Amino acid sequence: MTTHPQHSTADTMAAAWTRLWFEPAPARPLAIVRILTGVVALALWWSWSADLLTWFGPEGLMPIGAVRAWRSPWAVSALDALTAPATVRGFHLALGLVLVSLTVGFATPLVAPLAAVGFAGLLNRAPMLAGPADDCIAVLLWCLVVGRSGDDLSVDRWLPARAGRPAPPPHLRNQIALSLLLLHGIVITLAALLAQSKGDAWWDGSAAWWLAGREEVALQLQSLYRRSEYLMNGIAHAITLFEALFVTGLCIPGLRRSAGWLGVCAWPVVGLLAGEPWWGAAMGVLAVAAAVAPPDRNRQPG
Amino acid sequence: MAVSFYLMGLVLSVAANSGSGSSALVRTVHDRLFSPWMVPAWLDLGFDYRLTYGIPDDAEHLFEVRPWGASGAPRRLPDLGVGGERAARWRRLARAVARGEADPDQEGVLPEGLATGLFSLVGSDDVSLRVVRMLPPDRLATGTGPVRDEAFACRLRRVAGRVQLIRDTPAEELAPLLPGSDSIDRGPPRPGTPSGPVGPAADPPPS
Repeated sequence: MTTHPQHSTADTMAAAWTRLWFEPAPARPLAIVRILTGVVALALWWSWSADLLTWFGPEGLMPIGAVRAWRSPWAVSALDALTAPATVRGFHLALGLVLVSLTVGFATPLVAPLAAVGFAGLLNRAPMLAGPADDCIAVLLWCLVVGRSGDDLSVDRWLPARAGRPAPPPHLRNQIALSLLLLHGIVITLAALLAQSKGDAWWDGSAAWWLAGREEVALQLQSLYRRSEYLMNGIAHAITLFEALFVTGLCIPGLRRSAGWLGVCAWPVVGLLAGEPWWGAAMGVLAVAAAVAPPDRNRQPG
Repeated sequence: MAVSFYLMGLVLSVAANSGSGSSALVRTVHDRLFSPWMVPAWLDLGFDYRLTYGIPDDAEHLFEVRPWGASGAPRRLPDLGVGGERAARWRRLARAVARGEADPDQEGVLPEGLATGLFSLVGSDDVSLRVVRMLPPDRLATGTGPVRDEAFACRLRRVAGRVQLIRDTPAEELAPLLPGSDSIDRGPPRPGTPSGPVGPAADPPPS
C-alpha cells in the first residue's frame, strides 16, 4: 500500500505538533526554570526598591496622570491606585515575598499567578522604566503559571515526600509550558536578530564599540578595541552569529538541547557585552528550558 | 485552540510593536483582538532588542538637574554611585523623555510629569532639567572620554500651583537671519551642543 505524499507530510506535521504540545512531561525541567526565574526576578525586584518612593510616592517622579497619558490605554496596574508610602511599600514587599515563595516552590499554584500579575503590574505602572530583562521575566513568569513547576525541587514536593507520597506523574501542562518557553526563546532571538540586521553598525562591526562605551558594561573592552579593529568586528559578528545559531538550533529538534546549552553559556556573556546583564541572565534561563527539556521532546519529527 | 490563538497574538505583537512600523491591517487586528488582554499581562512586546544602531539615540542618556540659575555642578541622575539595573531605569526614563519630545503626541508629557518629583528632589520650585547623551568617542582618538550631547533641555517651574514647562531653545534658532549675518558675532558654541566642547553644561541666565 502506498501513501499519498501530501497526506504523509500532513500526518508528520500533525504528529510533530502533538509531540510538541500534547505529550506529558516531567516537572523537573520546569522546576529548574522556576528557581532560576525566581532568582532573576528577585534581582530585578530589588532594583526597584531603593527608588520606589522616588518613582511612585506622593511627590514621585511618575505621577499616574502623566503615566496614563504616555502608556497604552489598556495598561493597568494595582499600583495605579496606591500613592501613600505605606501602601506602595506594602505592594512591593508583598511582591517580594511572592517571588521568594515561587523560588522555593511554596504554595506554587497560588503564588505563580500572583507573581506574574504582580510583576506585570509593577511594569505597567511605569512602562518607560522597564527594560528587556523585565520583558523576558514577565514571559517566564506567565509560562510558569501554565505548568506545574511546583511538583519538583520545591517545598510543595518536599512535604508530601516526607509523608511518603509518590512524585506526581508527568503532566500535559508541563509540556505546554516548556514548549511556550521554547517558542518564546525562538521569537525573542529572531526579533532581536532581525532588529540588529537593520542597523549598519552590526554589519560594519562598529556595534561592539558603541556597546563598550556604555557605563554599565562590565567588560571594559574599549582599550582592546582601540588596538584591534578586527577584535571589535569579531565581537559584533560573533553576537549575531550566536543568535542565528541559537535560533536555528532551537528550531531543529535534534539540535535543541545543544542549542540550549550554547545559549546557557553565551547569553550571559552577550548580556555583559551589551550592558544588559540581567537580560542576558533571563535569556539564559529561557535557554535552560531547551537544554534540560526531556530527551523525547528532541526527537526528529516522523 | 487556545495555544493557536496565543501564538497568533505573539506573532502579531512582534509585528505591531516592531520599530519598523506595521500595516494598518496588522495594527487593527492586534489592537482590537490582542492588546486588551496582552497589554495588562505585559505580553504585548516587540522584542526588537537592537542593542545599538551606532546612533546618538542609542547612547547612554542621563539627567542633569539643578535649581534654575544656580551655579555649580548639576545633580546627575542616576547618581554616580548608582549602578546596575537601578541606574538603567533612570537612563531609560531619560531616553524616553528625549524620544517623547520628537513625538507630537507625547511632547511635554513626561517632563511635566516629572516636575513635582524634581521640585521635591532638588528642593526648589524652579528647576533646570537637561537630558544628556554620552556618545562614545572616536575609536582612533586615544585618551578621550565620552562626548556630551544635549538631547533635551527645559526649565520647569511651579507658578500659582501650576507647572510650567519652558523649553530651552538655542538662541540661534530664535534669532532672525539677517543679510550678511556672517559678520554677526555669535560667541562661543553653546556648551552641551554636539559641536560644543566637552564639559559640564551651563545654564542660560535666569530670565
